[in-house]
Amino acid sequence: MHLQYSYSLATFSPEGRLFQIEYAIEAIKLGSTAIGIQTSEGIVLAVEKRITSPLMVSTSVEKIVEVDSHIGCAVSGLVADSRTMIDKARVEAQNYWFTYNEQMSVESVCQAVANLAIQFGEEDPDPGAMSRPFGVALLVAGIDEKGPQLFHMDPSGTYVQYDAKAIGSGSEGAQSSLQEVYHKSMTLKEALKSALTILKQVMEEKLNSTNVEVATITREKRFHMFSKEEVEEVIKDL
Amino acid sequence: MGKKTLWKPESDFFLQQILQNISVEGGNMAQPGVQMQGPEPYGAHGPRQQYFSPYSWNGGTVLAIAGEDYAVLACDARLSEYFSILSRDSPKRYKLTDMTVLGCCGFHGDVLTLTKMLDARLKNYKHEHNKTMSCKSIAAMLSTVLYYRRFFPYYTYNILAGLDEEGKGCVYSFDPIGSYEREVYRAGGSASALLQPLLDNQIGMKNMQGVQRLPVPKEKAVALVKDVFISAAERDIYTGDQIIINVITKDGIQEESFPLRRD
Repeated sequence: MHLQYSYSLATFSPEGRLFQIEYAIEAIKLGSTAIGIQTSEGIVLAVEKRITSPLMVSTSVEKIVEVDSHIGCAVSGLVADSRTMIDKARVEAQNYWFTYNEQMSVESVCQAVANLAIQFGEEDPDPGAMSRPFGVALLVAGIDEKGPQLFHMDPSGTYVQYDAKAIGSGSEGAQSSLQEVYHKSMTLKEALKSALTILKQVMEEKLNSTNVEVATITREKRFHMFSKEEVEEVIKDL
Repeated sequence: MGKKTLWKPESDFFLQQILQNISVEGGNMAQPGVQMQGPEPYGAHGPRQQYFSPYSWNGGTVLAIAGEDYAVLACDARLSEYFSILSRDSPKRYKLTDMTVLGCCGFHGDVLTLTKMLDARLKNYKHEHNKTMSCKSIAAMLSTVLYYRRFFPYYTYNILAGLDEEGKGCVYSFDPIGSYEREVYRAGGSASALLQPLLDNQIGMKNMQGVQRLPVPKEKAVALVKDVFISAAERDIYTGDQIIINVITKDGIQEESFPLRRD
């Protein structure tokens, strides 16, 4: 066998590409759809849960998590990988609060998680770093001194702020729908309705209160995960 | 076996260990044939204790007052060691940000290291988080920095003055191992015990009847600072030469100096 190049994860191809990262980004497109919308009142996160068996306990599938009382995170892709990143985000947020006696900004949390995301393949990695890129995309939503913000982060560790963003298998359709419905003066209620309407359009299963997860981050309630009843209340007027 | 055990509960290991050392006749004698190991420990002049003395006391006094929309931080400029004056121009104020000043005195070596480290932490913070650290956060960070040296502390007395998020004057005082508190006025360092009661009376209006505590105007605070430092310099040999007064307002930090007695 004739080997021209020995490809390791952190090696550029002759065309200047990092294939493992590109493949990891492809892996996200297999994940369930997640939507985030930022308004002046707060941010809405809505995620599809794939319930593959009627015997599955739907509440055990957790795709929206609390990072700190002012930051929430929706994930799509290899959810197991996201646990490491969420752990990192939570530890960083608490360390920041411990040292500086104020809540960590949303962007700083993203920066901290991004630092972990690009440590794959390193010889002397920090705890939590892996030999391959993480196979998840995150929607990090929170409120800090700059107001409500929504960030999207991909496996390369790149994070970008969005007004509205969809990730996962239905993201292409969902993103163009978001572009149509989004406007700057959207209320939180409108955003909630739009997020679920779009999720309904792109989901293969029929949307109900057990196969979606909804959370908001507002100034009043901070991170708030919707109960089954609250989700039903929103679905009712779709 | 020359030992006669008094009582022997077989089950209790620790009790057995104790009881084995209690013998009725004689006790434990040094065993024949066993000698002291190692070289002779002492020289011709007998034992000598070696001391490690990592600290010194270089004096200096700091004082801060928080007003409605300003904060004043004053310090003297004398650096001493025992009965020597090392410098007449060594102010104990360190500008940390555009609206935060730290007063730091005690052991000058620790003061230099601590303030240098704080500067580095502030620069890093700005690079990492894209903003200047607030007075509240600096206070919290300083507390952790000091407490991390809980068992070999920085021998420094710290008072932080600046403006809070609402633009109000704020003063934080610290002990050398990081206990801290937000206050309206506080004196620290060499002449703190002389200054604090004066401030309690003039600003805190403590132990008086029929008085009302009003916000202190900026000009009165500056005048008061000069008065109390003059008094402190009369009695404390580690306070003198000159005072440096920093007034922090939303427009920035203004500095003035005022001479004190030089003996």
